[in-house]
Amino acid sequence: MDARRPRRWSKLALLGAVALGVATAGGASAAESGRLLETGSSLLYPLFNIWVPVYTKAHSGVQITTQSTGSGTGISESVSGLAQIGASDAYLSNALEKQHPEMLNIPLAISSQMVNYNLPGLNGEHLKLSGPVLAGIYEGKITKWNDPAIAKLNPGVKLPDDTIVPVHRTDGSGDTFIFSQYLTDTSPDWAKSIAYGTTISWPSVSGGLGAEGNQGMVNTVNQTPYSIAYIGISFKGATDQDKLGEAMLENRSGKFVLPTTATVQSAANSMVAKTPKDERISLIFAPGANSYPIINYEYAIIKSKQGDAQSATDLKTFLRWALNGTGGNAESFMQQVSFVPLPASVRKLSDAQIAKIGG
Amino acid sequence: MKFRTLLAMLGGLVPASMIAILAFLAIYSWPAIDYNGISFLGGMQWNLGSLYANPITVAGVDILPGASYGIFFLIVGTLLSTFIALLLAVPIGVGAAIFLAEAVPPGPRLWLSFLVELLAAIPSVVYGLWGYAAVVPLMAHYVFPAMADVLGWIPGFGQPTGSGFGLLTSGIVLSLMIVPLIAATLRDAIDSQPAAVRESAAALGATRFETVWRVILPGLRSILIGACVLATGRALGETMAVLMVSGNALNTLPQTIYAPISTMAAFIASQLDSALQDPTGLAVRSLAEIALVLCIISIGVNAAARVILAGFDQRRRNA
Amino acid sequence: MSTSALPAPHGVTLQRSANRILQRRREWLAAAGWTLCAGSLALLGGAMLWILGMVLVRGIGALNLTIFTEVTQGTGGGLLNAIEGTVAIAAGTLILAVPFGIAAGIYVSEYRWTRWAQTIRFLADVLVGVPSIVLGYFGYITMVEWLGWHFSIAAASITLAVLCLPYICRTTEMALREVPPELREAGYALGAGPARVTFSLSMRYALPAVVTGVLLALAISVGETAPLLYTAGWSNYLWNGQLVRSPVGYLTYVIWAFINEPFASANALAYAAALLTTAFVLVVSLAARLLLLRRK
Repeated sequence: MDARRPRRWSKLALLGAVALGVATAGGASAAESGRLLETGSSLLYPLFNIWVPVYTKAHSGVQITTQSTGSGTGISESVSGLAQIGASDAYLSNALEKQHPEMLNIPLAISSQMVNYNLPGLNGEHLKLSGPVLAGIYEGKITKWNDPAIAKLNPGVKLPDDTIVPVHRTDGSGDTFIFSQYLTDTSPDWAKSIAYGTTISWPSVSGGLGAEGNQGMVNTVNQTPYSIAYIGISFKGATDQDKLGEAMLENRSGKFVLPTTATVQSAANSMVAKTPKDERISLIFAPGANSYPIINYEYAIIKSKQGDAQSATDLKTFLRWALNGTGGNAESFMQQVSFVPLPASVRKLSDAQIAKIGG
Repeated sequence: MKFRTLLAMLGGLVPASMIAILAFLAIYSWPAIDYNGISFLGGMQWNLGSLYANPITVAGVDILPGASYGIFFLIVGTLLSTFIALLLAVPIGVGAAIFLAEAVPPGPRLWLSFLVELLAAIPSVVYGLWGYAAVVPLMAHYVFPAMADVLGWIPGFGQPTGSGFGLLTSGIVLSLMIVPLIAATLRDAIDSQPAAVRESAAALGATRFETVWRVILPGLRSILIGACVLATGRALGETMAVLMVSGNALNTLPQTIYAPISTMAAFIASQLDSALQDPTGLAVRSLAEIALVLCIISIGVNAAARVILAGFDQRRRNA
Repeated sequence: MSTSALPAPHGVTLQRSANRILQRRREWLAAAGWTLCAGSLALLGGAMLWILGMVLVRGIGALNLTIFTEVTQGTGGGLLNAIEGTVAIAAGTLILAVPFGIAAGIYVSEYRWTRWAQTIRFLADVLVGVPSIVLGYFGYITMVEWLGWHFSIAAASITLAVLCLPYICRTTEMALREVPPELREAGYALGAGPARVTFSLSMRYALPAVVTGVLLALAISVGETAPLLYTAGWSNYLWNGQLVRSPVGYLTYVIWAFINEPFASANALAYAAALLTTAFVLVVSLAARLLLLRRK
C-alpha cells in the first residue's frame, strides 16, 4: 500500500509536466496581436491612462495596457520586443542609438517641470532661482536660505537663516534627467563634475534627502520645512493643494518665469526649427524672453521592426491618433496633466517617423 | 520508488533553485566582478557615470566616463538596519508568542493570533506607505527629538535628529514585518509542548511564567533560532518598505541612528531602471554583483547561526 | 510540624521568611513578565490597527461594487483584472511551492542527520535572504527573455514559488520537530511504513503549524510587487487563459503605481487595492483555520 502512493504521485507529476508543456506550446503559437503594451515613464503614465479608455472605446479591436515602470525599463522592453511602446522622458543616448539603430524616438507631447520649496511664511511668494544657484544648493555649496546668492536674486524678501534641505529622486527618473540637464547647461562646474542622466551621482549634502517618485517628492517637501525639490508639472494639483512654494526660474534671456502654457509654448516654438529628423534633442534652456527653461519632449520609443503586421498597424493607428490635435493632443487631455501639445512642424516629423514602423 | 528517495528528489528543488540563482548571479556579474575587483566592497563611491556620454575604454573594458562601483555604505546600511530590526522583533515576538500560547484562553486566542498573522498579510508596499505617511512624521516631530534629549549622551543618539527618514525608522518598520515569523512559529511550538512538561514544572512549584520562561522556552531554542534566521533573511532582502522610509542615502555613512541609509535590496530596486540605460551593460552587472554579495552575507549569517546552534547542542550533550 | 505549641526554632523562622521573600520576588517577576508579554502583544495589535486604519480611511472612498465588476481603466475603474490575476498567481504559486516545500521540510526533519538534509536546510535559509527584486530579475532574464515566455503567469508563479519554497520548507521542518518521537515509534511498531507514519501520524499532528507556515509564505508572496513587475508585467484586461505570453494584472501593482499618480481617484484605488490584498490573505487564512478546526 505504501509503495502504491509514490507511484501515484509520480504519475501526477508526469501529468503536470505534460500539461505545462502543452500550455507552453499552445501559448507560443497563439498570436499576441490585437494587444499593445505600453510601459515606461511615470511622467507619461497619467497621460496614457486618460488616452487609452477614450481610444479603446472608439477602436474596440485593440487592447492597450499601460504600465508605469520607469524610462529605462520602457526603453529596454521596447528594444527586446516585450512592449510595443516604451514611454520615456528622454531620447536614447548616442551610444544606445548606435547599438539599436532600429529604434525610433517619437515625441508625443511636451512636458515641463516645477521647482518647489517649503518655506514657512514664504510659500505664497514665487522665489526667483537660477541654474547656478540650484546647482550650488544641490552641490552643498549654498547651504542656507539667506545665502547672498539667493538674496541677490530676491531683493526685499526676508529669507530665513535656515539650512536648505535639497531633495532628489532616488529612482531612475526623467525628472532627474531634465533637471540635471538644466544644471549642466547653466553651471560649468556641474557640467564638469556631475553632468546629466536619469540617475546621477548626487553630491552628498548634509541633511539632503532622496524620495521615490514624484508623489514621494511632494510628500517629502510637504513634511520637511526648508526643503526644495524638482517636481513634474503633472503634479501641480498636488503641490497647489499642499500649498508648496513654486520658484520662478531664470531663462536664457535672464528673465524669471513660471511654467505656464504660454512660457512652455514659447520655449517649444523656439526649438522647433532646431529639432532634427530623428527628433532627438534637448529642449532645456531654450532661447526666448518668455521661455521656460525646463521643458522636454515626452517620447514613445518604438522599434521600427515590429513582430507582426497586425501589431504594427494597430500601433501606427494609435500613435497617429495620439499626435492628432483632435485626438490625443487635444487641449482637453493636455490640460489634465498640464502638458502642452506638439507644435505643427514637430508633429509632421513625428508622422514621418511613424511611417517607418513596419511589421 | 522509495519514499525517502522521492522526498529527497522533490525537496531538491530548494537547493537547486538557490544554486541556480547563485550561478546566474555569478555568471551574469562576472564582467563586473572582474572590473571592480575588491574595491567594490570597500569603495565609498557608487556612480553610474555619465549615462549620456560615449563609453570610454579603461583596462580593456568599456565603461561610461565617471563610472565607479563601490558599495561599502550599502553593506553598512543593510547590516545595521537588519540588526536593529532583530533587536526589536525578537523580544516583542517572543513576548507576544508566550502571551498568545499561555495567557490567552482558547476563545479569543484564534482572533488574537490573527492579529499577529495579519501583520504578515500586509503587503510590503503598504508598510512603506504607512511608514512615510504615519511613522516618519511621528518620529521627526516627537520621538526622535525626545530620544536625543534623553539619550543624547550616547554616541550616535544625539542631534541632528533629521527628517524622520533613516536607519531607526527602517529598523522599526522592518521589525514589524518580521515579527510574525518569530511570533507565529514560536506560538505554535509552545502550544504543541505536551501537557506533561507543564504539569511536572507546576508540581515542582514553578509559577506559570517560570514554567514558560525556564522550562519550555529553553527547549525551543533551536526553533527560536530557526525563526530568527528566517526573520533575518526576510529583513536582509526586504525591498519596497525600506525604499520608502530609509531616506536612500547615496555614498554616505550614517552619523547617527536617525540618519538616512541605503540597503542593498532597496538600492538594486531603485537603480535598476537607470542601470538598464547603460549601453555597456556594466551597471546592471554591478547590480547583480550587489545581489551576489548579499547572498554571500546571507550565507555568512546562516553559517554563524549554525555554529551557535551547534554550540548549544554541544552544551546540552555535555550537561 | 508547626502544630506544636512551641514556637519554631530561629533557623526555621529565618528560612520561612527567606522563602516568603523569594516567593514574593518570583511572583513579582512573573507578574512583570506577563505584563511585558501582554505589552508586546498590545504593541503589535496597536500597530496593526494603525496600519489597517490608515488604509481603510484612505481607501474607503473607492470601495464600492464596481471594484469587483470592472477592470482597471485609465485613472480609476475597478480591480477585477487585478483580483483575478492575484488569485491566479497565488494559486499557481501554491500549486508549485507547497508540494516541493513540504517534501523538503519532511525530508529535512525525518532524515536530518544526512548531508543532503543539512544542505537543503542551509540553502533554504540562504534563499530567504535573496531580495525579491533579484528573484524578479532572475525570472525576467531566464523565463521572460531566454525561454521566450514573455510576461506570463508561468513566469510569475515560478518566481514567487521560489520565493515561498524556503519559508514552507523551514516552517514544515520546525513543525515536524515538535512531534513527539513516541508517536512515530508507535506507528512503526504497528508495522506502518515511513510514508504512512509521516502522513497519517506526524503531519496530522503538525498540520496546524504547517498550515501557518504555508499561509505566512502565501502572505509574503502575494504582497510582493518588484518580482511581479518583471515577470507578470501588468494587464488592464482579464486573463485570457494562456500560461505564457500573456501578461496579467495583480493588486500590488495598483498599490505601487497608482499611489504615484496625480489623480485622487487613482490614489483612492491604490488604497482600496491595499485593503483587498490584506483581506485576500485574511480570508484564505480564516478558511484554512476553520477547515482545520472542523477536522479536529
